[in-house]
Amino acid sequence: MVHKETTDTQKKKTKRNPRGSHAYEVLLIIAAVLFILATAYTQYNPMDIILQPQNFISFITNDFFPVDFSKVFNNLDTIFMTIQMAIGAAFISAILAFITAVFGSRYTAPFQPLTKIIRGFASFLRNIPSLVWAFILFMSLGVGTGVGFVALSISTYSFLVRSFIETIDEVSTDSIEALTSCGASFWQKIFQGVIPSCIQGFLSWFLYCIEVNIRDSTIIGMVGGGGIGMVLFTYIKSFKYHSASGIILAVALMVIIVDVLTNYLRKVVETS
Amino acid sequence: MSEVALELQRQYSQITFSANGKIRVSKPRQNLQIKLFLIFIAFISIVSIYFLDIDWAKLFSRVPDLGIMFVKLANFNFKLIGQILSDFALSVSVTILATVYSAVLGILFGAFAARNVIKSRVITTFTRSFFTFIRAVPTPVWVLLMLVCVGLGPAPAIAGLSVHATAFFTRAFAQSYEEVDADVIEALASTGANKVQIFFSAILPAAMSSIVAWCGLRFEINFSESAILGMVGAGGIGYSIMNNMQGYDYGSAGVAIVLVYLFAFSVELLFTKIKLKYVK
Repeated sequence: MVHKETTDTQKKKTKRNPRGSHAYEVLLIIAAVLFILATAYTQYNPMDIILQPQNFISFITNDFFPVDFSKVFNNLDTIFMTIQMAIGAAFISAILAFITAVFGSRYTAPFQPLTKIIRGFASFLRNIPSLVWAFILFMSLGVGTGVGFVALSISTYSFLVRSFIETIDEVSTDSIEALTSCGASFWQKIFQGVIPSCIQGFLSWFLYCIEVNIRDSTIIGMVGGGGIGMVLFTYIKSFKYHSASGIILAVALMVIIVDVLTNYLRKVVETS
Repeated sequence: MSEVALELQRQYSQITFSANGKIRVSKPRQNLQIKLFLIFIAFISIVSIYFLDIDWAKLFSRVPDLGIMFVKLANFNFKLIGQILSDFALSVSVTILATVYSAVLGILFGAFAARNVIKSRVITTFTRSFFTFIRAVPTPVWVLLMLVCVGLGPAPAIAGLSVHATAFFTRAFAQSYEEVDADVIEALASTGANKVQIFFSAILPAAMSSIVAWCGLRFEINFSESAILGMVGAGGIGYSIMNNMQGYDYGSAGVAIVLVYLFAFSVELLFTKIKLKYVK
C-alpha cells in the first residue's frame, strides 16, 4: 500500500515536471513573439529615453522643484471630495452588489438561470474599462461630480459582485447546505447562513475597494469627475508644474494614508 | 486583487466550522465588534455622500439620455474600421510592451525589496518606500509627465504605464520571493552558492508560478489603463472612442467599445483557463 502510494506520487512528479517546465517555455516564447511584434509596431526603444536623461533632469530641476505647497492648502476641499467620492461609491455599490450576489451565487439563488444572467451582466460591466464608462456617461449626462460618482460606482459594483459571489461560494457552502437540508427559506438562508459566515469577507473586500477607489476617483476626476484629479489635470495642462508637483505629492500622501488605514482595518476585521 | 484573495483564503482555512463541519453559532463579542464597525462605516459613507452635494433628482431625470446614447452606440458604423483597428493594435502593443518591460524591472527591483534576498534592512526599506510612493501616484499622472519629457507618440504611454506597473510588480514579486521556503535557500548557501546563484537557481524558479499569475493580472489592468492614454492625448483605442464620440460619430465609437470589450473578455477567459490548468 505504502509502496504503491510512493510510486503514484513519483509517477505524478515525473508526469508533472516536464509539463510544468514546458508550460513556462511556451509562455516565454509567446511573450517574446508578442514583444517583438509590439516593438516593431510601435517602434518603441527604451534606450531613446534612457540615453537622453537631460530632458528628465531639466524637467525635474526646473519644473518640478521647488514644490509649491500653497495650492494644496487652497484645494483641501477637493481632496476631501475625492475621498468622499471613493467611500460613498464603495458603500452604495457594496449594498447593491450584496443584493445582486445573493441572487448570483449558485448556492443561494432562488432559480438557477438567474446566476448565469447576473454573472454575464457583471462580466460585461467589468470588461469595459472604467474610464470608457466614465466617458460614455460624461458624453450622455454631462460632466460633474454626480456623473463621476456613478462612473466610479459602476466599476466598483461590477468588481464587488464577482468578489461577493466568490466569497459566498467559497465560505458559506457548508452552512447553506445544512440550512437547506433543514428546509430553511430563502431569507433564513441569507440571514442565518450567508451574512454571519461571509460578513468578514465582505468587509474585507469593501475596504479593498475603498483603497482602489481613492486612485480611481482621482483618475475619473481628471477626465471630468471633479475633485483633486480635475485640479491636478488643469495645472498640468496649463504648464503650472510647481503647483502640480505639490498636488501630486498631496495625492500620493492621501493614497498612502488610506492604504495604511484600510490595511489596518482589514486586519482588525479579519482577526475579530 | 489576488493578494486579498490569498489573505482571505488563508483566513478561511482557519475558520472552524468548515474544518469540523459545525456551523458557527453566535459569538457575542465578535458580533458586537462587527456591528459597531458596520455602523461606523455606514455613518462615514452617508456623511460622505451627503457632503458631496449631488443633485440626484437631476441625475436620475437624465437617465433616458443614457438609453438614447446606448442606442446610438449600438448603431455600428464600420466605415472607419481600418483606423479603429490600427488604434486598437497600438493599445494592445502598448499593453504588451509595458507589461514585459515592467515585469523584467520588477523581477530585478523585487529582489532588492525582498528581505530574504537582500539582508540589509536599509536597502529593502528604501526600495519599498520608494516604490510605495511611485505606486501612490496615479498612472495618468505618470503618462502626462512622460508626455512632457518625451513628447508625443506611443513612447510616453509605454514609459508612463511601465513606471506604475514596475512599482506594482516590485511589491508583488518581493512578496512572492519572501514566500520561498527558507530551507531551500539555506541548503544552497551551505553548498557555497553565492547570492546571485541562490537567487537564480532557488528563489526565482520557486516564485515563477506566482510571477506568471501576477503578470496575467497586470496585463488586464494595463489594458484597461491604456484607455486612459487616449483621454490624455497619447493615442490608442481610447483616443478612437473619445474622438469619434466628440465628433458625434457614435457608430464608430460603438465599434471601438465592442472591440475593447471582446478583447478584455477573451483575455479574462484565457487567463482563468490557464490558472485552472497550471496554478495549484
